[in-house]
Amino acid sequence: MRRLKRKYMNDFPILNRKINGKDLIYLDSAATSQKPVQVIDAVTDYYKNHNANVHRGVHTLGDESTELYEAARKRVASFIGAVTPSEIVFTNNATDSLNLVAQGWGLINLKKGDVVLTTVAEHNSNVLPWEYICERTGSGVEYMELTDEGLLDMDVFKSKLTDKVKVVVLSHASNVLGTILPVKQISELAKEKGALVVIDGSQAVPHIQVNVQSLGCDFYAFSGHKMLGPMGIGVLWGRRELLSNMIPIRFGGGMVLDVDKKTYELAEVPECFEGGTPDVAGAVGLAAAIDYLDDYGMENVRKHEIELTSYAIEKLRTVKGLWILGPHNPDVRTGLISFVIDGIHSHDVASILDSEGIAVRSGMHCAMNLHKNMQISSSTRASFYIYNTLEDIDKLLAGIEKAVGLLK
Amino acid sequence: MDDNLYREELMEVYKSTKNRGTLVSPSVEVLEKNPLCGDQIKLQFEISEDGIITDAKFDGSACAVSVISSAYLMDNLVGKSIEHAKKLTKEDLMGLIGINLTTSRVKCATLALEGLKNAIGKYENGKSNTENKNKNR
Ligand SMILES: Cc1ncc(COP(=O)(O)O)c(C=O)c1O
Repeated sequence: MRRLKRKYMNDFPILNRKINGKDLIYLDSAATSQKPVQVIDAVTDYYKNHNANVHRGVHTLGDESTELYEAARKRVASFIGAVTPSEIVFTNNATDSLNLVAQGWGLINLKKGDVVLTTVAEHNSNVLPWEYICERTGSGVEYMELTDEGLLDMDVFKSKLTDKVKVVVLSHASNVLGTILPVKQISELAKEKGALVVIDGSQAVPHIQVNVQSLGCDFYAFSGHKMLGPMGIGVLWGRRELLSNMIPIRFGGGMVLDVDKKTYELAEVPECFEGGTPDVAGAVGLAAAIDYLDDYGMENVRKHEIELTSYAIEKLRTVKGLWILGPHNPDVRTGLISFVIDGIHSHDVASILDSEGIAVRSGMHCAMNLHKNMQISSSTRASFYIYNTLEDIDKLLAGIEKAVGLLK
Repeated sequence: MDDNLYREELMEVYKSTKNRGTLVSPSVEVLEKNPLCGDQIKLQFEISEDGIITDAKFDGSACAVSVISSAYLMDNLVGKSIEHAKKLTKEDLMGLIGINLTTSRVKCATLALEGLKNAIGKYENGKSNTENKNKNR
């Protein structure tokens, strides 16, 4: 198993870098993952050998490019268990996907008095699109609190799930607490009330096996760059019948069949949502990332991260004054740990770790509501992926101890 | 310049209480926030009739860069005129601290400087309002 992991680690060229004279220890994969050479090569190969615009023109390269783009769509569809590839809309990132649902579905379906139900733990990208639509439609966002441990109390959810709730918007896994929400159970309850379920899967798809059909949700959004893929490509999955009744939000070339002065005929789903030249190289790179994850095995990704997370929780707990956010049970959380050290600002922890070559995130991680709710001004986050090792966590601990020594 | 922000002499400034705390009767105070990192510092100034800063203190929860730059700035301002304070630039402040900051931390260092500019604006606004009122009378 060790040797196998080494083989995978060697696939990430950036891990050979020195940072401030030390070996890079990359613990910021929740912000963006590093890319294996297989993904980098796929993107390069596309530009070297196949580059042309898609769905336009009839020349050979144009056909090749279109085929690669559509093959990538198929690859994504099978990876997350979509019914057909046409349920996959390529976007720029998760933020773009979430805005597409909020505007494309919300603007025509939400009315005055309707409620969008969410939690205080959401990323800004999952909240602001809805706050904007609610303001325009007269509906309102309602925020559920989480338990002290960072879990969603299902009784709270049931009590908040009134007839006014038209859509439930949640992240599958929290980018601060790591909490994995029981999406299947949530979807069943929402269905009974006739509410839609929109899931932000940015922190889930890279780390746990996701099957949108068995989850029972209606929309599912994620970014390619957090799952070994390139930056600039994102995905929105939606149920076919819902996508068919949504309005496009980006008008222009590539999303219409016919234009005749004042009228136009929209292209089919999903092209009607992909106005303008898409990030074909990004889609090709994402498909290569999925191949890579499939080869590694999503069960193995999960196993590896549970091992790292358990070890990290055990180690970090030994630091005096350090407080781990979110649940301590690794079975209900993903491989990221946010923590606060009494009297020390997260930026200082991150700066001192950086001087040791260790990259972590500090600040509020785009989750202002959550930090305000917990009454902390910021936190430090170490997030793990397939290329991290137990030794990385030992170095993290040593770095944290150095920070405490200097600043306390 | 030494790149090490966490070297001993700066850590001493960080932990020092010299310019930290609150003034009994400040002429002006501002609460400066950096929403990106959740930093919040309060700056207070005592200003004499002839426009000299006679005392300055800061307080709040902030990172070492914010704290150290606030401490240097406050220390440097006492005894200076507000005309001098108005002219202080980011470069002056960096020179005072004597460190090279990475781009992501420059914002933390300039928080206090922005606070200073806002405080002067607030002070002068308040003053011209009372002067105007006096004139109108
Ligand atoms: C939970 C969650 N949602 C949404 C996003 C936004 O992702 P992107 O910036 O790729 O659109 C992130 C990433 O920071 C995230 O962690």
